[in-house]
Amino acid sequence: MTLTTAQVVFCYFAGASVISALLAVTRRNPVHSMLWLLALFLHVAGLYLLLGAEFLAVVQVIVYAGAILVFYLFVQMLLDVPGEEQRSRYSAHWPFAAAGGLSLAGLALLALSDGAFWLVPESAPPQPAHSDVRLPEYTGSLTDVGNELFRRFAVPFELASLVLLAAIVGAVVLAGRRADES
Amino acid sequence: MIVVPMAVVLGLSAVLFGIGMFGFLARRNIILMLVSVEVMLNAVNLSLAGFSRQWNDPRGQMLALFVIAVAAAEVGVGLGLIIALNRNRSTADVDDLTKLKW
Repeated sequence: MTLTTAQVVFCYFAGASVISALLAVTRRNPVHSMLWLLALFLHVAGLYLLLGAEFLAVVQVIVYAGAILVFYLFVQMLLDVPGEEQRSRYSAHWPFAAAGGLSLAGLALLALSDGAFWLVPESAPPQPAHSDVRLPEYTGSLTDVGNELFRRFAVPFELASLVLLAAIVGAVVLAGRRADES
Repeated sequence: MIVVPMAVVLGLSAVLFGIGMFGFLARRNIILMLVSVEVMLNAVNLSLAGFSRQWNDPRGQMLALFVIAVAAAEVGVGLGLIIALNRNRSTADVDDLTKLKW
């Protein structure tokens, strides 16, 4: 079985994202965890590129790796948690959590493994069920994403801005309160 | 151009989701629980992008974009709550947050 270059790159990104996710949830130092989370975000952005979702990859790098991760790091630095490094990383019930995660991933893999699981390129991409309406060739490019976002998804797009505004107000109200007022 | 079969993307997504679920259930530090939620959200976004490619339909990407927007809102409120909690109790441990317990 020969792999194309894109498949080799996919294997690299997939393996690296699994490893960095594992390290992100198991490191003792929270800052190390967040840096592994950064590695995960960047590798997932690479996977988006391979899946033809360029705009999603750019948003992943800007919003997740740029904004959300920096926010996490700032809050971690703001918090006052003495003796965090000395305490155990996991709760007492961590074997149950491991069993839950393993069984979820294992069952999903089991369900997928009867199909074409290994790297065999499919002969033809399947058409959507409603293929009597001939869709224009969708490339995932910025033009397509913009057309969708400002036509069919214009109302959800505006609602998303409302959700973000509510989150901003909520964060300021929650975090800006002094301790003696509460 | 389809690089890999859809099942591979879904399997990777399931593995990442399982890792995030383990982290969320097992970690003590409340910030690292939120980090694990981010891992799970990324797993779901990955499968949405894969579906979008598979079915040649941009709605998967749209849904992933909205998931990212809501994730940003969730992080803002969640970390604000953590700061408010940390102001009262000097801890980030979920096992210590037992103020409602008698």
